[in-house]
Amino acid sequence: MRKQSVIFLLMVLAICVGLVTLSSTSFAKEVSYLSLADYTGPIAGLNVPADMGLEDYIKDINSKGGVDGVKIKFIGIDTRYDVARAVSAYKRYRRTPRLLVVNSISTGIGKAVARLIERDKRLQIVPGDGEFQAHIQRTFIWGPAYQDAFAATLDWIMDDWKAKGNSGAPVVGYLSWDNPYGREHLRGGKEYAEKLGIKFLPPEFFPPGTLKHDVYLTRLAKAGANYIHAGGVDPTPTNVIRDAYALGITKKIQMTTDYWGPTALGIGVHAKALEGTVITSFYQRGDDSRNNPFVADLWKKHRGSMEKFNEVYGMGMSWGMTYVAGLTAALKAVGYDNLKPDDMYKAYQGITGLDKHGIQGVCAYSPTSRRGSLEVKIYRVKNGKIVPITDWRKAPDAVSLHKF
Amino acid sequence: MRIIKILLLLAIIPTLMLGAISCQTLQSLIGPQAKLEVIPAETFLSPALFKKPVTFKGSGFAPKEMISVEMVLPPGMKMKGLKEGEKDVGIAIGNADEKGNFTAAMKPIATLNWFFQVGWTPLLKPNFKEARPIPPGVYKINATGLDSDKVATSSLKIVPPPKKKK
Repeated sequence: MRKQSVIFLLMVLAICVGLVTLSSTSFAKEVSYLSLADYTGPIAGLNVPADMGLEDYIKDINSKGGVDGVKIKFIGIDTRYDVARAVSAYKRYRRTPRLLVVNSISTGIGKAVARLIERDKRLQIVPGDGEFQAHIQRTFIWGPAYQDAFAATLDWIMDDWKAKGNSGAPVVGYLSWDNPYGREHLRGGKEYAEKLGIKFLPPEFFPPGTLKHDVYLTRLAKAGANYIHAGGVDPTPTNVIRDAYALGITKKIQMTTDYWGPTALGIGVHAKALEGTVITSFYQRGDDSRNNPFVADLWKKHRGSMEKFNEVYGMGMSWGMTYVAGLTAALKAVGYDNLKPDDMYKAYQGITGLDKHGIQGVCAYSPTSRRGSLEVKIYRVKNGKIVPITDWRKAPDAVSLHKF
Repeated sequence: MRIIKILLLLAIIPTLMLGAISCQTLQSLIGPQAKLEVIPAETFLSPALFKKPVTFKGSGFAPKEMISVEMVLPPGMKMKGLKEGEKDVGIAIGNADEKGNFTAAMKPIATLNWFFQVGWTPLLKPNFKEARPIPPGVYKINATGLDSDKVATSSLKIVPPPKKKK
C-alpha cells in the first residue's frame, strides 16, 4: 500500500514537472498583434501593402531574436471591411494570452470594437477618428486626426490663395463618402474653416462605389468653389479627380485630398488627370517614401523589386515600430511573466517622441494624446510623381473646436 | 500517507470545480437561457435580401451587452476571406436592451461577403462575376453575448432559388 502511494505521488509530481517544463521551455516567449484587416474587400488595395510592411518589420525583429527574447506573433484577419466579421474575430482572439494590440482597419470597426477593448483593458489603433482624441480612452489613432489634417489643408489653401495674389479668403467645396469617415473631417474642420474666414460650401456626400461623380462636382463648381477637397480612400479620390479632369474643372479649381488621397495605385492609372493634385499626408508619399532607405531596404529584402512598391508599406512599418517600442517599455516595467495587455496600454502612453525614421512625425501618444503624430506634409502630383511641396508642419488641433 | 491523499484530493477537487464553473457551457446555464430566432428561418439567395435582410432576434442575454451573431460553416466548406480551419464567420452584431433582448439585421456588406461571396472592384463596387454563393443547406447560427458568454443557437436554411417560369 505504501509503495503504491509513493508511485502515485511520483506520477503526480512527474506530470506537474512536465507541465511546468513544457510551458517554460518548449514554448517560446511570445506576444501577439491582431490585425482586423481587409485583404480581399473594398479597401484591400491599401490595406494589403500596409500589413505587408508591418509583417516584414515584425519578421525582421523576430529574426534578430525578438524584443528581449520575446517573439511577436502577427495574426491577420480578413474582415472584408465588415464590422460583424471583425467583432466575431475579436471575440475569438480576445482571450489569446498576451494579445497586446488590435489594429482595426476602419472607423466603423474601431468604434464597434472599442467597447470590448475597454472591457478587456487592452488597446487598439484605428485610422483617424477625432472622437478618440476628444474622449480619451484605449483607442489610439495612427497619425493626426482627420479633422486636424483637413485643417492643415485649409491652412495650405489660404497660403496658396494669397500666393496667387488674391485677397480675402477662397470658396472651398468638400465631397466624400456618405459614412462616418466622410463626415469626420468636418467635425472640427468646418469650424476651422469658419475661423479662417473661408466660405465653406454645403458638403456633398456620395455612397462608396459611386461610378461617376459629375453631379457633385458640377454642383460645387457652379457654387463658385476655388478649391475642392476630395475624400475617400484611394482609388476613390483618384476617380473623383479623374471625373473633375474630364469635366474641365481642374483647369480652374485646385483639387486637394486627405491622407488617403492618390497613392501609387491611383497615379499608375490616371497620372494625367491627377496632375497638380495636392495631398495632405501624415506619412511619406511618392519618392519621399521610395527613397527612404529604412523603408526601401526592408521592401527589397522581403519583396524584391521596387516596381510594385506602395507608400502605405512604410505606414505599416510605423505600426510595427510603435508596437516594438511599447513592448520594450512594457517588458522593462513588468517583465514577460507579468505582462498583461493593460501594461502595453500604459507603455503606449509613454513612448512620446519615438522616432519613426522619417516615415511620419515622431510619436505623439501620451496620457493626454491619442494622436500617432502631429505633423503632416503637403505633396503635389507633378509629372506623374508625388513630390513634397512643404516640409513637415504641425497640423492644427481641429478636434478641440468641435463638441463631440 | 492518508493525510497526503486527503490533501491532494482537497487540492484537486476545488481546481476541477473552478474549471467547471468557468466553463462557458455551464455558465450559459446560469440565469435565463438565451434564445435565438432567425427571420426568416428559410430563404434563398436573391437581391431581395438587401431590402429585407436576414434578421436575428434573441433574448435571455445580459442587459446592454454586445451580441455577435455567427454562421457555423459545415466541415470542408471554404469561404472567401477565411483561413483554412476557421469554423465560423460573424454575420451580424447587435446590442441587448435592458431586458437582455436584441434584434440585429445583416448589413448589405455582410450579405455580399458571406452569402454571395462577391469580389470587389477597385471602385468599391461588388463584383458579382466573381461571386460564389454559398450552397443550399442548413447552417447553424450562434449568437454570443460578449459580456456574459451566453450562447443561443438556431439555424438558417438556404434553399435553391425557385425555378423561373417559362
